[in-house]
Amino acid sequence: MSLLQIENLGVRFHAEDGGIDAVHSASLEIGKGETVALVGESGSGKSVTALSVLQLLPYPRASHPRGSVRFGGEELLGAKADRMRALRGGRISMIFQEPMTSLNPLHSIEKQISETLILHRGLDKAQARTRTVELLRQVGLPNVEERLDAWPHQLSGGQRQRVMIAMALANEPDLLIADEPTTALDVTVQAQILQLLKDLQQQLGMAILLITHDLGIVRHMADRVYVMKDGNIVEHNAVRALFSDPQHDYTKLLINAEPSGNPPAIDQRAPLVIETRDLKVHFPILRGLLRRTVGHVKAVDGISLEVRAGQTLGVVGESGSGKSTLGQALLRLLPSDGPIKFEERDVQGWKERDLRPLRRQIQIVFQDPFSSLSPRMSAFQIIEEGLRVHGIGATHAERRQRVADSLHEVGLDASSMDRFPHEFSGGQRQRIAIARAMILEPRFVVLDEPTSALDKTVQAQIIELLLSLQRKHELAYLFISHDLKVVRAMASEVIVMKDGLVVERGPTERLFDAPQKDYTRALLSAALEGKALDWEE
Amino acid sequence: MSAVTTPPPEHRLLGFSLSRLNQRRLANFRRNRRGYWSTWIFSVLFLCSLPAEFIANDRPLLVHYEGQFYSPVLFTYPETTFGGDFETEAEYRDPFVRELIEDKGWIVWPPIPYRYDTVNYDLKQPAPSPPDASNWLGTDDQARDVTARLLYGYRISLLFGLLLTAFSTAIGMAAGAVQGYFGGWTDLLFQRFIEIWQGLPILYLLIILASVVEPNFWWFLGLLLMFRWMGLVGVVRAEFLRARNLDFVKAARALGQSDARIMWRHVLPNAMVSALTFMPFVLTGSVGVLTSLDFLGFGLPPGSPSLGELLNQGKRNLQAPWLGFSAFFTLAVMLSLLVFIGEAVRDAFDPRKTFASSGDEA
Repeated sequence: MSLLQIENLGVRFHAEDGGIDAVHSASLEIGKGETVALVGESGSGKSVTALSVLQLLPYPRASHPRGSVRFGGEELLGAKADRMRALRGGRISMIFQEPMTSLNPLHSIEKQISETLILHRGLDKAQARTRTVELLRQVGLPNVEERLDAWPHQLSGGQRQRVMIAMALANEPDLLIADEPTTALDVTVQAQILQLLKDLQQQLGMAILLITHDLGIVRHMADRVYVMKDGNIVEHNAVRALFSDPQHDYTKLLINAEPSGNPPAIDQRAPLVIETRDLKVHFPILRGLLRRTVGHVKAVDGISLEVRAGQTLGVVGESGSGKSTLGQALLRLLPSDGPIKFEERDVQGWKERDLRPLRRQIQIVFQDPFSSLSPRMSAFQIIEEGLRVHGIGATHAERRQRVADSLHEVGLDASSMDRFPHEFSGGQRQRIAIARAMILEPRFVVLDEPTSALDKTVQAQIIELLLSLQRKHELAYLFISHDLKVVRAMASEVIVMKDGLVVERGPTERLFDAPQKDYTRALLSAALEGKALDWEE
Repeated sequence: MSAVTTPPPEHRLLGFSLSRLNQRRLANFRRNRRGYWSTWIFSVLFLCSLPAEFIANDRPLLVHYEGQFYSPVLFTYPETTFGGDFETEAEYRDPFVRELIEDKGWIVWPPIPYRYDTVNYDLKQPAPSPPDASNWLGTDDQARDVTARLLYGYRISLLFGLLLTAFSTAIGMAAGAVQGYFGGWTDLLFQRFIEIWQGLPILYLLIILASVVEPNFWWFLGLLLMFRWMGLVGVVRAEFLRARNLDFVKAARALGQSDARIMWRHVLPNAMVSALTFMPFVLTGSVGVLTSLDFLGFGLPPGSPSLGELLNQGKRNLQAPWLGFSAFFTLAVMLSLLVFIGEAVRDAFDPRKTFASSGDEA
């Protein structure tokens, strides 16, 4: 008999103006000790399905018009609150995407874990402590005894996720629901956490329901896969069969949505657009009453680079490596030290007023299309702003025409220009952000993780768009990303950054095929093969 | 990627088109029934008090005399116009003048034939006199009609409150915006300045002022403005501090947009929500301040219609409860209405309520 059986489940959210069916009909089954992946893009209803197993949806606003969820033969839909409390964290545990927010910042690590032990197992404090140490060892947290009294903010993202896993495993659940457990983590850490989950599963014999949008993870982790789209499960199969012989069109699309593209060839004769030597961005650390500078955070510590017209320089690094800081310093959005030569002129130290004419030629596209567009301005106003600043287009009608052209260029319908950002999807918003940069006909564009917040299928489209714009306008790109697959599709040359320093640099192909440094190798194997490699600093 | 080409149906309020967010806010505002009705009652009362001269006045609205029309509310006519003896303005309440006019025409009086400073000489008992048919809420200790004084007092309190709120909000937001947006030393120095400024004893300053000049409406407004703009600074500053690091603000800087424009176009709309939420409460505070100063006797010049002054009379004349009660109920109703409206505004801008009705996706 299967451990968890979801049959024909529907989830509906009620609202003033009708309601939304987040899940139409989902059926899935998980056996004992099995890893089942639920795959889908944002908005497909996969998280909602998982949350309804634990009855964690915002009832009564959410409701289940149909279906059943049985765990070990017991119906969970509409089960008594007491019963659900006993199951949650007992026989069914869950780990969430964001380790930053899923640990209580006011509780020490020990308290977070021992709480559930005391609650579900009735252990006393000393016993709970012993068990907590054991669990933290099991999830591979270093120096466990010292860390017991640590606060969540003192741990790194990966360590926090390990603590989350320890919490989830505390009562030896039969089923672990992992909702995007590694999405918020760096690639090298991602691989470690996935390996850990796999090891623990073998030791403890629990079943895992893995919710993810990342097919790479699915391939390494899951036994069987369910593909979800628009609230329906469109296909399910064993993992190997699914990848080798996808049936549904959507599955095929997902599998083929690996970012691909032909980065422009390296051309040393192309004119130099931007160049910097030994660029430094140091943030002072201020201490004490008089705010004296006691040291510096060296976000960017002596980086030299040059980007030529029509070329893309990729900057790769994990979070905190200083890659975004580098991009913003080049745009003079952050104070920095060292020459920044834009078309032969050193713009370092120029006043904002003198810089303004140049701003037109240096643009930036940010990672999160939800925060980079002002929510209170229409698409037209957002794109038009740059035109007004630089006095392009004398009349309103002319500016409207230009905005329409630029929307058309990024593949959006010009008639939608009077709508507001929240009325667009993530991919469409990113296109608006690109249009805002491109309408000024820049020479150099910093692309700060422009695809990271997007679904895989949309990612591929945006990469295609960026490449075609580059070919058309001879643009120089600085492409910042942590996603090596995307960088390979975009960049002709790559810099690998860590702690503000360049670890390795070179042409993309050489760097990917024959990395010289251990760190690069670890990064590559984690990103491309999902394997954790050890590396020495 | 599919783009819906049909424009969404437009909703309008007072000629302004409303975004969907604002429509939802309006709906939330309406859903707070108490606040919604308070708004209507308050607006009607306020609009009625604005033309107070036409409702309570000791000059007639219209006079018909020897086949000609006169409008003493609007224009000044000497007594000789109506066949009197003096070149000075006609005293329409004088029985002699009234007789002169009514011999050869007729008079249309406002509903309340007293101005706030009209002294009623034909009282049947010493002032303050209790309510009767001609003085609906009685008279005060100088034989002036309480109804008329309330009407004028209500208007002056509200106008003062609204002006003080508008100006102090504008100054407070500007100060908070500059502090939050530029941060660093600007912020640090400004904050210390505000802390010192807040420590100044405003009551003593008012007493000193009263001994130097005769404080009128505008003096008061200016002086209170100097000390009451700090309320919103903290909120707006926090909002700007947060917003200046948002991506869309960085994007605007990358476009070359000037600081002032960024603050105005990109950051201010975000800070408006918190400011608007506070405004009704700032308004009640402003009305309260003026009333309390009037009550203490450091307020508007003697003779001005004021709720605080009426309260003070009520305190001095406990044998005439209509004074205290009238002032108390007027104030209580006005402030309660404002607080109810404030609650509804707060509901309207509450993001949890605004977005609670839209189903969130997984």
